[in-house]
Amino acid sequence: MPTARSWTDSVADLWHLLRFRTQTVRRPRAAAVASVVLAGFTLAAMLVPPHVGAVAKVGGPEQVVGYLPSMLSGFLVLSIVSAISSGGGRELLPRDQAAIHPITTTTEHLGALVLSPLNLAFLLQVWLLLGATSLVTGGDGWLVGQLLVLLWIAFATALAQAVGWTIEIVRRGERGVAIVRTIAVVGALAAVALHLSGRFVPLLEGGPTRRLASLMAGTRDDAWLAVPVLLVLTVLMVLIGVIPARAALRRAPRDELKVESGIHPARAFPSSDAAMLLRMDRAAVWRSVPMRRGLIVLALGPGLVALVGAMSWGSVMVLPGLVISGGALLFGVNAWCLDGRGVLWRESLPVSPQMVFRARARVLAEWLIGASAITVTLASIRAGVPTVNQAISMATLLVVVTLQVVAVCMLWSGRRPFSVNLRSARATPAPPLVMVGYSSRLAVTTTLTALIFSTASGGGWLWLSPVLAVPLLIWSLRTLRRAEQQWVAPAPRAAVVMTVAG
Amino acid sequence: MIDVRDLHVRFGEVEAVAGIDLSAEAGQATALLGRNGAGKSTTMRVLAGVVPPTEGTVLVGGLDVARDAISVKRLVGYCPDVGGLVPLATPWEHLQLIARLRRIDDWETRSRDLLERFELGDVSHRVTSGFSHGMSRRLSVVLAAFHQPDVLLLDEPFDGVDPIGVDATLDVIADARARGACVLISTHLRDLAMQACTTAVVLRGGARVASMASCELEGEAGADAYRALLD
Repeated sequence: MPTARSWTDSVADLWHLLRFRTQTVRRPRAAAVASVVLAGFTLAAMLVPPHVGAVAKVGGPEQVVGYLPSMLSGFLVLSIVSAISSGGGRELLPRDQAAIHPITTTTEHLGALVLSPLNLAFLLQVWLLLGATSLVTGGDGWLVGQLLVLLWIAFATALAQAVGWTIEIVRRGERGVAIVRTIAVVGALAAVALHLSGRFVPLLEGGPTRRLASLMAGTRDDAWLAVPVLLVLTVLMVLIGVIPARAALRRAPRDELKVESGIHPARAFPSSDAAMLLRMDRAAVWRSVPMRRGLIVLALGPGLVALVGAMSWGSVMVLPGLVISGGALLFGVNAWCLDGRGVLWRESLPVSPQMVFRARARVLAEWLIGASAITVTLASIRAGVPTVNQAISMATLLVVVTLQVVAVCMLWSGRRPFSVNLRSARATPAPPLVMVGYSSRLAVTTTLTALIFSTASGGGWLWLSPVLAVPLLIWSLRTLRRAEQQWVAPAPRAAVVMTVAG
Repeated sequence: MIDVRDLHVRFGEVEAVAGIDLSAEAGQATALLGRNGAGKSTTMRVLAGVVPPTEGTVLVGGLDVARDAISVKRLVGYCPDVGGLVPLATPWEHLQLIARLRRIDDWETRSRDLLERFELGDVSHRVTSGFSHGMSRRLSVVLAAFHQPDVLLLDEPFDGVDPIGVDATLDVIADARARGACVLISTHLRDLAMQACTTAVVLRGGARVASMASCELEGEAGADAYRALLD
């Protein structure tokens, strides 16, 4: 029986797997609505900006043209960081399910590319780029501008994916984890040094993205000539990406195997049941490769951006919400999946479900507030000493946003559990489209909350932030209480347990 | 020790268990047999206090599972059919959790002894996500039997387990019976079930179709009788 697969076979396999994923969506109607909404936002980003007068008053197309090269470069840089941190991008099928199928590395590579857009951070940047381009080109060059920016997005995604696989080859090699960590630290330090020397933004603005932006903004006919060039480059980059993908996927995931083969020495007998539950839950989080890696990127990334960009406290206020909502997406939206199939056995132990719930919620809260504290600490280096009002507002914001996110995550975890194995660095706690929905809702809530406290921190009323926090805290505590009641009820809890156990 | 009357379990429109009656005595081992989807694992989960019954009465050690699940869980040791292990915890941490929640003093000696008997001593401080299927099954049996429960529920304990693990599991069952525990074993391996158990209950389509002494299902005649019950 022939086992070799051609390109066409790999593409056909990709199509079959995508159909399988879409046919096995648990709530097809909700998925269809979400797809229409996403398509609507994309169309709006492409069509609306030239007609919005308010935007023109702020700075107008001329000012946006100046930002466009760095926005295009920024998209590439963030795509590369994302591909590296996710160990090669999303999986078409979870690893344990995919293992029995003859899925080629080419299909894996193409699948990771196709699934890239199902990520809110990616979508937000895409909408921003489409909107900015649309604003810059206006009506005359609109079509070619949109084509060029879409092709740039495709090219940058393919390039980032290829870089992600290449780094994955190194990571899966001898001492690979240490080498990649060193590369990450050196890269971050280089970015800081470039910024401090005033060369970071010129670097982003220079090179091919400046030329691309000028083609978009201009009315010259050669803009059309760039379309086939970018198209060919994108196809080439997709093809080139297969090579590192093949090499990376043939190697064993070293950091995951390190966790599984490593020795975890016995610790002292815990002083209470709650302490034991907390210890088990913390171990499940901190020993997980995707969670640890995700937390590092989330905590350090925005912190470094704030550090390099010398953000003021008013702007820093937005960061904890983003970090906390991002951190929740690592496991919090499906919190019971930490137990994997062990959830059945854990449920047979004589312990009150309230205690189990509270331990899980507390570990999630610790995780989120820890990550955001690192971000705020880094940001504070350049933001300077905050005023008393800013300090009160930030502290209140951290508490409010953490409680908001923990409450809603615990509610979702009980209402819509998924059976997932977070063993792989490429795994996510819920299917991609569901993750987009979760991330959108979390980002909107936390950003709005941050804006409230950012505004409050600018005034002279020290009492304002704590007072504003009261209704938000009451709402979150009520949500958390509802989530706990849902978990404590035997039948819904059994449904969660059976689903998570798979 | 176990008394199940007219047990029904429904998941939405699916009726996983449709009126099972079952009783099992202390000091006896009962085999729960039947085809896939017969309701064996769901019945085990109800007895372990993991899944609440939709209808019917389920008494374990005289306690109603629907009313006092926590007390039932104190009496029971349960080896689930799938997984049963927390992926990123070590066997030692699993045992420590049991010792803590079940208030077991001097647990370390028994832990080491059981892990050695099941040849898991070398991996007692490694996370279970790297375990083979057989190793996971063996550890699940250890976890179920560790606190010497009054009711030992073993769901597919022999699945994928090597002969040494099978022997260790049979020893655990014999020990449990000797100290007066009630043992319920769900398995597709009829020969091992007959070796370990005194009585057998056959389920089909979520209901009990036969209850007999295990010796009646031994040998070729027993195999034919069993097949006849499954069809």
